[in-house]
Amino acid sequence: MKVALPLFKRSVWKGPYIVPLPIGNALKTGNPIRTNARSCTIIPQFVGVKFQVHNGKEYVPISITQEMVGFKLGEFVPTRKKFKYNLTKN
Amino acid sequence: MVFIIGKRFLGKLPVRYALKKEIFGISKHEVEKICSKLFLYPKMRMHQLTEQNIMAITKELNDLEIENAKKTQIRDNIAFKKNIGSYAGMRHVLGLPVHGQRTKNNAKTAKKLNRLNRKL
Repeated sequence: MKVALPLFKRSVWKGPYIVPLPIGNALKTGNPIRTNARSCTIIPQFVGVKFQVHNGKEYVPISITQEMVGFKLGEFVPTRKKFKYNLTKN
Repeated sequence: MVFIIGKRFLGKLPVRYALKKEIFGISKHEVEKICSKLFLYPKMRMHQLTEQNIMAITKELNDLEIENAKKTQIRDNIAFKKNIGSYAGMRHVLGLPVHGQRTKNNAKTAKKLNRLNRKL
């Protein structure tokens, strides 16, 4: 990936969009963080933390790895099911 | 007829235009940079290039990522997004638009092009 790409998305002086989350506690205890903030940017401090991100219906568990830094939390939890045709039984 | 990095260029074409058109993955700004570095004037044609000019252009092009290197780079970026399980990677695999366009109708370009091993 291009290193400079995140700079085109948003003004530099604002920094990345971050929601205050209890990361320190989660790293100590190992409990997942339950959140609705899908638009929160993943920063390097999140690596190794478990999340439960809302997809509109339920909280889906994900664990953050090094490669996910720079993406948003919601990008890893899809909100739509793929259409599937079911034959009715009768 | 002029040959640079194994590609053939028509002699009558302007240098800046021909380089941009024939070589995959080079931008007009990069062409502009190379040409002004080698003192090639804007309306110069391919057949006016000397042997030294062609050698110099080849040397400049070797530093850039063009042709197959660029294609593998693009495919790698798609594969990377798929491997980390992001939404954009998933849309590429499904062959659907990536940037939130509608899919009730149209989306023809995405259905034609978007896939994991993208044809370029």
